[in-house]
Amino acid sequence: MPAEDVYNRISVLRAERGISRKDLAAALGVHYQTIGYLERGEYSPSLFLALRIAEYFDVPLEVVFSLRPFPRLGSGRTG
Amino acid sequence: MQRDYLPGWYATRTRRRLLAGAVACALATFWVNAVVTWVTPGAGAGWADGGADWADIVLWTAVLMVYLPAVTLLNVATRGVTALAERDLDERQVSERLRAVGITHRIMTGILVTLFATTLAVSLYHGRGYSVPGGALLMLAIALFMTHFVLPLVVSGWRLPDPPPDDEDG
Repeated sequence: MPAEDVYNRISVLRAERGISRKDLAAALGVHYQTIGYLERGEYSPSLFLALRIAEYFDVPLEVVFSLRPFPRLGSGRTG
Repeated sequence: MQRDYLPGWYATRTRRRLLAGAVACALATFWVNAVVTWVTPGAGAGWADGGADWADIVLWTAVLMVYLPAVTLLNVATRGVTALAERDLDERQVSERLRAVGITHRIMTGILVTLFATTLAVSLYHGRGYSVPGGALLMLAIALFMTHFVLPLVVSGWRLPDPPPDDEDG
């Protein structure tokens, strides 16, 4: 079975908006460690939770989740 | 169970596995006791025949002194994944519980098949008319119940990855 890796930018969005794991977890109704496991890529959320996370940050789903690694900040600038 | 009590006892995977091992050893004692009761008529069956001797009392006090704290700490470490009602868990915890129960089911199937084969083999060896002693039956039932009851917790505690470190604001 192929690896079903889902990449996300939850930690970036959270840091950008100054939201703690516990605040995000409370808003989503999950345990705060679940947010940590999501950020580390050790747990892939259900479609329902993924949609709720995108809705919480008020961004489209594909801004938060991707099947390919997100490019590092600045990696597109080659001069 | 959603809070950290005595976190130093289960902070690392090695410590959680030691706790899971301690519970597994306590469970093993139940099985050893059942086997001893079976092969040695009268031994270890103090509860079954109405009076426990000092060896029984010391043994089971020691087992409980390991079992109860280890089970409590494992429940805290796993955040009650195998103990709480499903409505009190989030989707990751529910999926972890299902995985632990699935693994436990396979282990329990192996134990039941082994128990059945052993009982059949002993019965065939002794011939018709043989029956498992009542005290041994009781001890086997207790061992089976305890294993069925607590094995999901042991599996869950054994598998649990290290939690992500708390972020700066906790």
